[in-house]
Parts: sequence; structure tokens; C-alpha cells
Amino acid sequence: MNALTQALANQTPGLNHWLVLSTVLFSIGLYGLLTRRNAVGILMAVEVMLNSAALNFVVFNYFVTPGAFDGQIMAIFVIAVAAAEVVVGMAIFVAMFRLRHSVDVNRIDTLKH
Amino acid sequence: MIGQATYTLAFYFLAAASVLLALAVVNERKLLRAAVALMGVLTVSAGLYAMLGAEFLAGVQVLVYVGGIVVLIVFAIMLTRSAELLEDRPDKLRSALGAVLSIGFLGSVVWVLKSSTFALPAAAPLAPHDDAREIGVLLLNYTSTGYVLPFEIISLLLLAAVIGGIVVARKTAPAEQPFTSGGDLAGEADFEVPRTQHDEAETGVRQ
Amino acid sequence: MEHELGFALSNAWLVPALPLISFVVVGLFIRPYSAKWAGIVATLAVMGSAVMAYAIAWQYFHLYHGEDHPAIVPWTIEWLRYQPGMSVVMGTLIDPISVLLMVVVTTVSALVHLYSNGYMKGDPGFGRFFTYLSLFTFSMLGLVLAPNIVQMYVFWELVGVSSFLLIGFYYQKPSAVAASKKAFIVTRFADLGFLIGVLTLGYYGYLSFPQLSPSIEPGLAGLSTSGLQPFDFAYINSPEFLAYFAPMQVAFFGFSLLTMAMVLVFMGAAGKSAMFPLHIWLPDAMEGPTPVSALIHAATMVVAGVYLVARLFPAFAASETALLLVMVVGTFTSLFAAVIGTTQDDIKRVLAFSTLSQLGYMMLALGVSTMAHPLGYTASMFHLFTHAFFKALLFLAAGAVIHAVHSNSIWDMGGLAKKMPITHLCFLTATLAIAGIPPLAGFFSKDEILAAALMNHHYVVFGVAMLVAGLTAFYMFRIYFVTFWGPHRGHGAEHAHEAPVLMWLPLAILAVLSAVAGFVPMSHYIHIGAPLEHEGINLAIAVPASLMAVLGIGVAFFLYAGMKATARAERLATALGVIYRTIKNKFYIDEVYLFVTHKIIFNYISRPIAWFDRHVVDGGVDLSGWMTRTTGYVLSLGQTGQVQVYGLWYTAGALFVLLIFWAALG
Repeated sequence: MNALTQALANQTPGLNHWLVLSTVLFSIGLYGLLTRRNAVGILMAVEVMLNSAALNFVVFNYFVTPGAFDGQIMAIFVIAVAAAEVVVGMAIFVAMFRLRHSVDVNRIDTLKH
Repeated sequence: MIGQATYTLAFYFLAAASVLLALAVVNERKLLRAAVALMGVLTVSAGLYAMLGAEFLAGVQVLVYVGGIVVLIVFAIMLTRSAELLEDRPDKLRSALGAVLSIGFLGSVVWVLKSSTFALPAAAPLAPHDDAREIGVLLLNYTSTGYVLPFEIISLLLLAAVIGGIVVARKTAPAEQPFTSGGDLAGEADFEVPRTQHDEAETGVRQ
Repeated sequence: MEHELGFALSNAWLVPALPLISFVVVGLFIRPYSAKWAGIVATLAVMGSAVMAYAIAWQYFHLYHGEDHPAIVPWTIEWLRYQPGMSVVMGTLIDPISVLLMVVVTTVSALVHLYSNGYMKGDPGFGRFFTYLSLFTFSMLGLVLAPNIVQMYVFWELVGVSSFLLIGFYYQKPSAVAASKKAFIVTRFADLGFLIGVLTLGYYGYLSFPQLSPSIEPGLAGLSTSGLQPFDFAYINSPEFLAYFAPMQVAFFGFSLLTMAMVLVFMGAAGKSAMFPLHIWLPDAMEGPTPVSALIHAATMVVAGVYLVARLFPAFAASETALLLVMVVGTFTSLFAAVIGTTQDDIKRVLAFSTLSQLGYMMLALGVSTMAHPLGYTASMFHLFTHAFFKALLFLAAGAVIHAVHSNSIWDMGGLAKKMPITHLCFLTATLAIAGIPPLAGFFSKDEILAAALMNHHYVVFGVAMLVAGLTAFYMFRIYFVTFWGPHRGHGAEHAHEAPVLMWLPLAILAVLSAVAGFVPMSHYIHIGAPLEHEGINLAIAVPASLMAVLGIGVAFFLYAGMKATARAERLATALGVIYRTIKNKFYIDEVYLFVTHKIIFNYISRPIAWFDRHVVDGGVDLSGWMTRTTGYVLSLGQTGQVQVYGLWYTAGALFVLLIFWAALG
């Protein structure tokens, strides 16, 4: 038990581990952005991506400038902007649904050649 | 030491949880379940923030992100009637391409990480801090190291977003609505309405 | 010796400039508004030019009275500069033959302008006609006054264009359009030879210029405001250049390069002066209005070829073969055309063949001369001078007759002597002149040509020329008798009336000139090479020539004066049968040309080239357009309109850039 504890204690996650985590989350969000057919689903994937970006800020704050709080403030701003974005996005989706009667993004293709 | 071991364990547990939940967010065909998974990802993120010494942020995350934004998303799901139906699967080519690109992205960033070194100060244990107070002071700090300007602009942005949302999503005159009932009647979602509002005259949809 | 140049000589550029201004002003500004004023302005401009030309002639010959007349170039402007000191200039050259031609061209042109105000009245293209006439006058004057061969070539082409425009003046008539095309194509083809000749001369001129030009006397180089240039006639004709050039040989066949160049230049001259076998365009050119025929195809443009040979006479003389060719072609053409002229029924056609024949005379006169015995040179220019007057008169009078009778055919005319007395008298004067009856102009000039031939011991040429003199008298009096004597052969002839004054006044002036022009002592003014032994009239030649003319008139009288006579003519024609018909059909030369063009050139050359042009050249262009369009279409398939697709592309692009950076930065 002690050895395991010792091992775990020695392996505290460093900067790289945290960054890999946030990158994995970001990639998953990216996959969802490119693949989802429902507009709201795309928005949820975008939220995942934004969340991972905010995590990134906080991670750097913790590791590079532990005594300052700039990273956390950036994360707060990210959250605020995400909120604004979701508001506008939802409004658009509702209007789109009213017009097209579908939120399938594959059907919204009037930019076609 | 125990604390550090716990710390490591907590990290891996929370990391796994968030990754799995994120996968659920992007793959789940029933959208409400995806919304719940999103809630889970964000909550786990709050936990991660707490581990990084950003307790105030963790609280804000839960309050605003989970409590506000995800709720808003659920509203949108309901309003766009995406709740009852299964989302269509993406076609194979697209999902393959998406996967390839995401994995490619992941791979390149990880590779960059591996080849770079960050200048880090000596690892120090977390000092006790009153981060709520500090954040507040920093937000209202009007020197060049402060964030009062972005703070004010964010409030403007939120105002603009709210107004814009209202304008875009408001109901137009009843004569131009495709529906007149609340949409509760069975089969109404499958009702074939004209693709544009101009075709209504021909199909004689409205009352 | 330096002389002070007077106003006229220093401003010789005004002579071509006035018709040019008239062309622009009448064409652009007056023609759309008033036809009458178009005619008036154009006529006044050319008359101004004529007055200027007379002033120049007076001043020039007065200034150099008794001396060797030098070539002056009082005005130049640099046009193309190849190197400093070697350039092509545009200028005005004043020397005896250019002054002569200038006087002739402006006089005849002014009279034709005057005549046209009456002849073309009521024609919807009245203003356009005068525009083209002004253009032509300008071009011809530019040609005549050219100090170097390049300027002459430029204006040569311009004259061809004016001729094209004027022959095809009645552009709604298919025959007129075809005739103008034919004229232009034949002369253009001839000009190909001319151009190659010019380039050959120019090339060797440039090569030799640095070494030879310092040794050329300024007196020979002319008094030029711009200095001697390699393309100048003064340079090409200089003995130094000819001595350098004459021994050169072409790589194959051992031909002399000089001969080749001069033969090619002569090809151009033959085309423009309608020598056999390039004569085919001139009879058809009669489709144009009669004043055009008078001005261009009798008095001025067609003599451009003769003028060119005269201009380059020293160079031609340096190559015996070229001069021989000139002589043979000229002689043959004069005989050939005279024979055909005896059978034609269209009055203008007869006059056209007569022109061909007289041009043949001018060419043969040049051909029989040498630098040592240059009488033919003077004779040729003299004949050019007199011929211009009486041929223009003949055409204009024919125009008056055609105008009155409304038909070109002599068999629709008859008995017009009483109906149109002034025209009749003028026509008679001209016909006597061309037949060579003393003391009218033609007698003197023809006499000198015959003397030149005899003096240089070309007896065959002399004999042919005598025969042609007789034939000339014959066919000219044939049409005279049929047109003016005898009964009224047609409806038009009965109702004919005299021409209006605007038309008979030029006729009268030309008749006077035809009568007195012979008394100009041409050899005082125009000579080249060795000095002439001035003997006056050589009775040994004059008497037989006049007798030939009288014989010709007598035969014409016998066959054509009156109804009984014409019956005799018809019997003779049927008796000659096939021969008569062949001659009447102009020896079927046109048919031969048509055969060659249609059967051979069209099928074996034109069709393959057209196929190539349509499928390979156009196909290549179409291919590039098709490729662009298809590429665009293929690329546009990527615009699906779905934002997620764009997102995919964007991400892929970003990754790609990342990879590039990775590869570049290691």
C-alpha cells in the first residue's frame, strides 16, 4: 500500500499531463463540431471546446504564475462569452426551425454553388 | 504525501470522467442525454478547477455554465423539437474525416508539447489564498495590469447578445407563422410545410 | 551651288498636305451635313495644291535654269529611327520627274474633282466620293514626292487602298465589289515582290552605308535637310553603292543579287502598272465611276509603276537583265493590249486596254535606254505627261457620253456628233492626239519613244511599236466613228444632250493641254546620265509613224464609219471566227486565272489551311476555355453549402499548415 501510495505521490500530474487532457477534450469537441447533424448538438460540442480552453488558462495560471490570478480571470471571461454565444446561437436555431422546420445542418445549404 | 497520492488519483479519475462524458456529448443520438452529459463534463471541470486552486472559478462554473448555459441548451432542444427524435447519424465519410482530423490535431499538438519546454518556476505547494477577493480586486483594477476594460465590455457584449437574441427569435406577425397551434398535436412535427414563408399562399396552411 | 529656296519650294509639303486636310475635314465634318460643300471644299483644296505645284515647278526650273537639276529634299521628318544616323524619314523630294508628276497629278486631279461635281450629282455617296478622291490625291502625291523607297512603299499601299475604295464605290453592285477585290489582291500580290526587293536593297544598303556614305558627293546625295540615309533613292542610285552591290551573287543559280532585287521591284511596278500577266485587274476596274477611271486608272495611279522604274533607273541600268525584262514586258503588253482593244464593245474597256497599251509604251521606252543613251528615259516621262492629259480627256468625255446615253456599249451610241458638239470636239482632239497625228501632243512623245528604240538598236521593239501605233489609231478611231458618226443606234442616243458646264469645262481645258503639251521641250528638263544630243524631230521616224497612224484611221473608217462599213466589220469578224472570239475574250487569261485559283489553290492550299485554322488553332483556344470552365465546375462541386463541410476543410487546412511548419522548422 505504501509503495503504491509512494508511486502515486511521485507521479503527480505535471503541466504536460494537464495540457494533454485539455487537448483531448478539445479534439473530442472538434470531432463533434465536424460530425453532428443537429445544430444544437454542434453547439454542445462547441461548449466542450470552450471549456477545455478555459481549463488551459487555469492550468497555465497554476503552473507558471501561481501567485497571480490572470488565468482565472480569463477563464471567467471565456464563460461569459460562451454564455453570450449560446444565447445568440439558440435564437438563431429557433428562428431557423421556425423557417425551415428542421435543425439538420445538412439541409441548410443555400450557399451551394 | 497521502495528499499528493490522493491528488494524483483524483486527477486521473476526474480526467477519465470528463473524457468519457465528452465522448457521450458528441456521440449521443438522443439530445437530452447529450445535454446531461454536457452538464457532467462541466461539473467535472469545476472539480478540476478546484484541484488547481481556483475555487471561486469552480463555483462560477457550476452556477453560470451548468446552471445557466446548459439549461438554455435544454430550452433550445425543446423549442426546436429535437427531444423526441433520434438525431440522424452522420454519413460515414464525414465521421471518418472528422475522426481523422481530430486525431491528427491531437497528435500534432501532443507532439509539439513533447518537443517544447516551458520555463516553470520551482514547484511550490499551493499557498492559501482568498481568490474571490483577489479576483474581484483584479477585475476592477484600472491600471494596465487590471481587467476593468474587458469587464465593462463583457457587460456590453451580454447586453447585445440578449437584445440580439430577442430580435432574432421573436415571433413575427401571426399571419407569417407557419404554425398556429402550439404544435402539440400528434404528427404535427412531420407536417410538410413550405420551405419558405412565401409558398404558404399556395399550400394554404394557415388560418 | 547654293540657291535660296523660295516659299513654294521650302513648303513643298503643302502639296500633299492640302488633300490630306481635305480628306479629314470633308470626311469627318462636312460629308454628314452637306454633299455640295463636300465637293466644293475638296475641289478647292486640290486646286490649291495644283497652284502650289505650278509655283514649285516654276521656281525649281527657274532656279536651276541651265544647270544640272539637282534633287532637293526641302522638308523631312524622322519617322523610324534604327540607330542615330540611320533612320527612315518622310519627306518631299523635288527633282525634275517628281515635279513633272506633281504637276500632272494635281492638274488632272483638280479637273476630275471639278468634273465630278457635275457627274456624281444626285448620287447618294457624293460626299464619300470626294473623301476618297482627296485620300487618293494625298496618297499619290506622297508617293511621287518620296525621297526614299520606304516612303514610296507606304504610299504605294495607300494608293492601292484608295483605288480599292474607289473601284468598289458602288458597293452594292457585286461586280464592282469583285473588281475592287481583284484589283487589290493582284496589286498586293505584286507588292510582295516589291517588298522583298525593297528589303534586299535596304539590307545591303545598311550593310554598306558606313563605308560608302562618306565618299558620296553631297551634290549627288541631294540637298536634303536630314542627311543621306540608306533607304534614300540618292543612295541606292549612287554609283558607289551600285558598284558595291552589282557583283554580289545569290547563293543558288549564280544570279546577280542586284538583278534579283530589281526584278522583284519591277514585279511591284508591273502589278501597279498592269503589265502582262498582272494586267487582269485594270479592265475590271472600269466598274468604278468614270471620274475614278480617268484619274486613277489612266493618268496617275497606273503610272506609279513607270515612275518607280524611272526613279530607280540607275539601279535598273546597272543590271542589264532587269532592263531587258522591263523592255520585253512593256513591249509585249503594249501589243497584247492593243490587239484586244480592237474587239471590245464597252467604251471604257477599250480605253482601259488603250491605257495598258500606252503604259507598255512607257515601260518599253525605259527598257530600251541605258545610262549612255538615255533618250528613252526622257521619252517615257514625256509620254507619261502627254498621255495623262489625253487619256483623262478620253475618259471624262466617255463619261459624258455614258451619262447622256445611259449605256456603256458603243453599239448603243451613234450620231452623237450633232447632239454633243463640245464633247465631240474634245474627244476628237484626244483621239487624234493618241493616234499620234501631228502637231498634237501624242505625236511628239510617241516619236521620241520610237527614236529611242531605234537609237539603241532594238529593231524588233521598234517594229512592234510601229505596229502598235497603227493599231492604236485603228481602235481609237473605231470607237470614235461608232460613237459619234453614223445613225443613232439606240434609244439613249436619240435623246442625248450636251453635258453641263461643270463637265465640259474640264474637257475643254484638257483638250487644249492635249494639243499644246507636245511643244514642251522636255529634254531640257528631264534627263539622266549622258547628255542628250538634241536633234529635234527625226523625220525618218516621224513620217512613217504618222503614215501608220493615218493607215489605222483609214482602216477604221473603212470598217466602222457608217452602216455599210459596220456591216463589213461584222463580215470580217465572222470570217475570222475563232481568232476573233479568242481576242474578244481577252485570250481567256481571266479564265485561266480563275481555274488556277478555284481548282488548284482553293482545293489544295486554302481548304487544308482553313481546316487547320478551324480545328487546330481554334481548337486550341477552345480547349483552353474548356479546361478553365471544367476546372471551375469541378472545383465548384466542393461548395456544398453545408457549414460543417467548410469546417472540415478548414481544419484540414490548419493541420496542413501545421505540418508544413513542422517540416520547415524541424
